[in-house]
Amino acid sequence: MSAAYLNTRVSLFRSRLWPGDQVADLVEAEADALPALLEARGLGTLARGYADGDPRSLETRLVDILLDEAGVLLRPLAGAARRFLRYWVGRFEVSNVKSLIRAKMAGDGPAATAARLLDMGRFTRLDAEALMRAEDVAELMRRLERTPYAGIVRNARQAFEQGHDPFILDATLDRSYYDGLIERAHAVEAEAGPAFRDMVADLIDRVDLVWLLRYRFNYGLPPAQVHYLLPAPGYRLVPERLRALVGRPDIASVLADLPEELARPLAGAATIPEIAARLERRALDRAAAVLRAASPPLARALAYLILRESGLRDLRAVLRGRRLGLPVRDIRAATGAY
Amino acid sequence: MFRPEPMLKVELLCLTSEVQEVALLLARHGGFGPAAPARAGRGDGHGETYRELYREAAARMAKIQEYCGRHEAAPIPDDAVAPSERELAGIGNRLREIWQACSGCREKELRVEEEKRRFERLRETYVRLSALSVDPERLLRHDGLLDIRLGQVPAVNLKRLGEALSVAGYVLTVFDRAGDQAFVVAVGPRAEPAGGGRLGGLLGQAGWRDLPVPAELRHDPESSARWLETEGRRLDAMVAEHCELRERHWRQYSAWLGQARVLLALARPLAESSSLGLSAKGQLAVFSGWVPKRAEAALRDALEARFRGRCLMSARAPEPGESATVPSLLRHPFWLRPFATLVRHYGVPRYGEFDPTLLFAAGYVLLFGAMFGDVGHGAVLLAGALFLGGRLAWLRWVGMAAALSSIGFGLLYGSVFGYEDLIEPVWQSPLHDPARMLWLALAAGAVFIAVTLAINLYNRLIGRRWLAALLAGDGLAGLGFYAAVAAGLFGALEGVATTLAWVVAGVCLGAVALGVALETPGPAGERLVVAVIEAMEAAVNLFANTLSFLRVAAFSMNHVALALAVFAVAAGLEGIGHGAALLLGNAVIIVLEGAIVAIQALRLMYYEGFSRFFAGDGFEFRPLRLSLDEVQAMSRSEA
Repeated sequence: MSAAYLNTRVSLFRSRLWPGDQVADLVEAEADALPALLEARGLGTLARGYADGDPRSLETRLVDILLDEAGVLLRPLAGAARRFLRYWVGRFEVSNVKSLIRAKMAGDGPAATAARLLDMGRFTRLDAEALMRAEDVAELMRRLERTPYAGIVRNARQAFEQGHDPFILDATLDRSYYDGLIERAHAVEAEAGPAFRDMVADLIDRVDLVWLLRYRFNYGLPPAQVHYLLPAPGYRLVPERLRALVGRPDIASVLADLPEELARPLAGAATIPEIAARLERRALDRAAAVLRAASPPLARALAYLILRESGLRDLRAVLRGRRLGLPVRDIRAATGAY
Repeated sequence: MFRPEPMLKVELLCLTSEVQEVALLLARHGGFGPAAPARAGRGDGHGETYRELYREAAARMAKIQEYCGRHEAAPIPDDAVAPSERELAGIGNRLREIWQACSGCREKELRVEEEKRRFERLRETYVRLSALSVDPERLLRHDGLLDIRLGQVPAVNLKRLGEALSVAGYVLTVFDRAGDQAFVVAVGPRAEPAGGGRLGGLLGQAGWRDLPVPAELRHDPESSARWLETEGRRLDAMVAEHCELRERHWRQYSAWLGQARVLLALARPLAESSSLGLSAKGQLAVFSGWVPKRAEAALRDALEARFRGRCLMSARAPEPGESATVPSLLRHPFWLRPFATLVRHYGVPRYGEFDPTLLFAAGYVLLFGAMFGDVGHGAVLLAGALFLGGRLAWLRWVGMAAALSSIGFGLLYGSVFGYEDLIEPVWQSPLHDPARMLWLALAAGAVFIAVTLAINLYNRLIGRRWLAALLAGDGLAGLGFYAAVAAGLFGALEGVATTLAWVVAGVCLGAVALGVALETPGPAGERLVVAVIEAMEAAVNLFANTLSFLRVAAFSMNHVALALAVFAVAAGLEGIGHGAALLLGNAVIIVLEGAIVAIQALRLMYYEGFSRFFAGDGFEFRPLRLSLDEVQAMSRSEA
């Protein structure tokens, strides 16, 4: 019964996804017509934000929409599936953890810190008000270790105490988050089917590869350290392959040594942003196929959330680009709505 | 008792220079709850700065109290005045200094504790290390070819570290584990700079700590015991020093902290107002909020006496569209208050809505008694309830009421500790006529659900939600459908023509579907599908919920059946065994079945009752108060 309900819900939500051409049309729509266009697609909260002229609240409203819809999809789920999807949306709160730490390191006051945080609504697990009142980073980290994110933060605190490097702090937090995601995905893969596994693999492989390239060739970290900072491999980038890739001397040799399934879509790519964009495109294509097919409900739910988030990001790019007066060509280039 | 108290929206116009005194007076009065101002526009930041200073100071005070313990504070004098913004800033700065001293101390304490734990593990490891046939001197000798490191690392990071080190050509071997730490040797090719180029910050990120191998251990393992003892004493001395430091902090600051608590309590009313109900512009400030109607006159008199016309108060009744913003002030007689706590667990009635507390109390007690009717068992529960104390003291009266109901139904059923031949039943034993019990339970459920639908209709009408009141599945249309179907079924059982009833039921169900379609956004097809499904769901739910009351009959019969089972077991035993079986059996019935019945009664009230009419989305009236206990982060009061 609950699987049927979830499937039905996803199918109903599907109509909220905007085809790429319709999002692109927003780029050149009249400013006065924009709120009405958004309202007509059930994005009334975005329309109001746009009219208010407050770009910060646009981000919050996007996350609100995603969390609302995720909350609906969570209702019929139980057990490992529920834990996975809850953890999936929890990454917005992990970004709040990072914002809190960065703000404390920068010496920002509570008001400035609060402005950076996303409102997690019913998914809130942090007492942000109390955390903002920490006097320094050390106290903040200790307090975070008493929250549900203790596991993620503890490693980061130890790493930070060694070097006081905010980059390492961020990297460790992110890695810990993805390790947790992989663990929860493994627990549910048997039930959710190969389509679900493939979508998670798309995400993890993309993270592994892009971070590998950035850490090695942008930040110049040694291979061993890079390997340590990557989420646990195990999908297409198996451990042995990843161990070999981190030691490659340049981007081209890394790409040349990728498994066929990853190498094919990246043929001819030369820069890290291009690689990231192509892999994301591929992931979105797969999510769209999963959504169209008769896949298990959890897989379809995840596919919907992936596509929805991507679509809302494109909307944000359009709205923000328009507000900043960017050229139409550049705004279109920034979108890839599905 | 059936509705929250009438409230008035109040605005107080006063001089900006006197806002602190006004706030203090309102807090002493205890009947003013701040709310968003009626007029648009925010204050000039005067109140916001004060609020921020208060929150920072209160947060620091809370942390200091957590670390140092609560300090005694003198009672708040009647003529005390709230601190000014400057004074509040000064308090905050002083608290920051104290907290920095305390937190520095605390951080050191935590590190010493970590060091102690680490040291304990180290002690065990050295014992094992010394038992190995390995020469530490040779192990840690500088070698031209190998980079050898001895260290400890969190066990959770072990696997990942081993894999990462293998990339750099290192091998990681665990030689001991203790707690959450693993003691390891890492060996790899020596490179220049030593390990640094290949490994970068890897070891630090993994939480690696070099294992100090004291010189004594290298040359004379037996003297390592002396070294360990010295280190242990050093750490113990550090712990003692920090304990003494904490005590010194407490003595040094306690007097001032006590005064600071009083000052923060005096500052809180203005800080709380400025987050919500205070706006100021130039020389004038406005407090907006809610006051119970019965307290209006007293507040007006108090303001006049204190400010002699410098503070003007206007009051009006809430407008129809404001009901969602009006706080609910519920007053209950003492005997109803424990039940009000149970109702609050579900939610707070919205202003103007029906307060279900009395209905809940009556319903819960009756349901419990009906399902657990026995004079003896009820008497035991009564005795038990009398002794409830501590955190469960608030349940005492609920327990007593339920127990008395159980005794009452026990008299109706004629049951005393399961024996049905000790007293004559006033009515009948449940098992005597199960069909009758089931019908009665069904009838009671139907009446209960009809009452809840009527209450919901009332709430919707009060809230001027006309469409929902008329067409919703839990509104008039739903009530009409329910009543018509009940009449139709009853008529069918009695052999009476019921065509009209079914027609009315059909019309009402159609009205429900129409209501859903009108409220559902989206294309026509989707609306039609949703309307049909939700109308059917509403119809099915009504009768499923009615059938749910069959459990009342089932549990009442179950109670008797359990007693029979106990008697059957006891009958097979003699002497002490017989008595023990009876005693134990009754104890199991009272405890186990009593708990189950209590939960079932609660479930019926919450799910079949409250979910039908009680949104529970109101919020309690929280007036400004002057209290030392409420000096805490305001996020909780604003939540």
